[in-house]
Amino acid sequence: MAHANDRLFDHQMAREFKLKKTRALVDKRMDLSDAVAQYVEDGDSLIETGFAYARGPMAAYWEIGRQKKQNLVGIYTPGGLNNLWHEFGGIEGAHVAYVGVEMRGLIAPFRRGVEAGTLKVFSDWSHGGLSASLRAAEQGMNYVASKSMLGSDVMKDNPYVKLGEDPWTGEPVCLIPAMYPDVAIFHVHHADKYGNGRVWGLSVNDTAIAIAAKKVVVTCERIVDTDDIRASAANVIIPWYCVDAVCEVPYGAWPGDMPGMYYFDRPLQEQVVRVDWKTPEATKAWVETNIYGTKNHYEMIQLAADEEGMNVLDYVKRLEQFACSAAYFGIGTWGTGGERDWKYEEVAKRAI
Amino acid sequence: MTTSYNAMELMICVASRELEDGSTLAVGTGAPCAAAMLAQKLSSPNLSILFEAGSVNPQLPEMPISVGDSRAGHKAVMVSTMGAIMETCQRGYVDYTFLGGAQIDMYGNLNSTMIGDNYQEPKVRFPGSGGANDLASLCWKTIVITPMDDRRFVEQVDFITTPGYLTGKGAREAAGLPEGTGPYKVITNLCILGYDDDTCRMRIESLHPGVTVEKVRENCGFELLLADSLEETHPPTDEELRILREEVDPDGYIIGR
Repeated sequence: MAHANDRLFDHQMAREFKLKKTRALVDKRMDLSDAVAQYVEDGDSLIETGFAYARGPMAAYWEIGRQKKQNLVGIYTPGGLNNLWHEFGGIEGAHVAYVGVEMRGLIAPFRRGVEAGTLKVFSDWSHGGLSASLRAAEQGMNYVASKSMLGSDVMKDNPYVKLGEDPWTGEPVCLIPAMYPDVAIFHVHHADKYGNGRVWGLSVNDTAIAIAAKKVVVTCERIVDTDDIRASAANVIIPWYCVDAVCEVPYGAWPGDMPGMYYFDRPLQEQVVRVDWKTPEATKAWVETNIYGTKNHYEMIQLAADEEGMNVLDYVKRLEQFACSAAYFGIGTWGTGGERDWKYEEVAKRAI
Repeated sequence: MTTSYNAMELMICVASRELEDGSTLAVGTGAPCAAAMLAQKLSSPNLSILFEAGSVNPQLPEMPISVGDSRAGHKAVMVSTMGAIMETCQRGYVDYTFLGGAQIDMYGNLNSTMIGDNYQEPKVRFPGSGGANDLASLCWKTIVITPMDDRRFVEQVDFITTPGYLTGKGAREAAGLPEGTGPYKVITNLCILGYDDDTCRMRIESLHPGVTVEKVRENCGFELLLADSLEETHPPTDEELRILREEVDPDGYIIGR
């Protein structure tokens, strides 16, 4: 089996793979654990979506760890929370534009893995460079030219990009090949059963990634009718023909942010990146309790609520209070303040 | 009588004054975002912020934790994509960007990737470029906010994550970067640095109250030029400090408690 990197920029292979998938409207609903089992294969390249920890498919990343997937190649623009799995054999190496949590600092398992030489950085990129690579794939084009990365060591040490020249003016340009990750998992506000995915707020690189990736799993806060999707089509960022599986996962971005619905559990996230994952031993203990010790996302949320001595519903309601007003995102009754009862029932039903 | 302040508050207040009203700015979270929010509340109500995750001209209700979060997109005029933001910069529509970095050299080249002699085997690994490379390549004026010491201000950075003036005058253009863009100011805890027009080398332009040229030079690993006329930085005003503490960062995430 060829290494994931050997097929990452293979334009022809990606085209053939993707065009073989059905474009018919078929019901793709399934459980998250089944979708991860079926579509995330050992040795795949897995690109993070959303803005990593903001509207990221966190439930799916935890499930990847729970199923002990092996030797994945991470692609991060940005990302890195699933670097956690490096110390469990899950992530072999990475293509990196950014791995960290901004003002809160670094992700310790990434840093110590790279410094020890066990986690390979296959290539460094800028955000603009890596997003251009995905945009080339979105265009169905072999490569694009960009002014990003010129003159820097990011470009010099990246084995995939090339220095070219504008054939009209002779100006130097950076030539960036189209990237085709093996698998991408998204978390969106709503999707229909065919996989049309709708968000409110920033779409980051998601449309390009959905089109570039060979296999696509969409997790969503709620599955809605296609008529509902048609009513706000401008918010649809993922078209059905890219999608292999649709999973209904309320609070699926927890403990991250879901625009207009719920905000980060800030103390929890800081505790995790600064303390719980600080050493390999601490990380192992955290994983034993929170991942191997739980059967799904809702048991994890229950543990976090227990830790704070809160009822699980009070806990999720508190995170909703921190979310910015849903009205400004145009979510209306779908955001905070609406459709809540259904979600609470789901959490109550699915938690321990 | 001026209120006392810490080094971070000083840097944020000084940085905020650089941002003209009516200009556009691409920033990340942390001190740069605090400076932009302060500028919007004081001198530059029509300063438009762009975040690399896709947010165009949001009205920030409070300090975002992430450039991709609910707050960063709050009341934006457009919620777009990472590609759209970088391409807006590439087209020349963004006046300023604010960056930090682990190392900076005399030409304003920045390293936020790794420490060590060999890229393949770093002694220390940092988060990587993120949008820094693109923003400093493509926005007109790059401002860096960083505390000053001789481990950060080095003769040669271990890795050029983000191009400054590269090897000197004309080098950016020769590499293909847009003409007329580049490093503009470095705001530190000791002084404001700028760049010499002829050589593109870093120079001292303004000393913060009580700081000497010798003290600045002691904290720098390369030879700093001097501007023709050295100024003294105006300390933060009571009004700046009040708004910074009460409205911009009331929880003290950036400025400390």
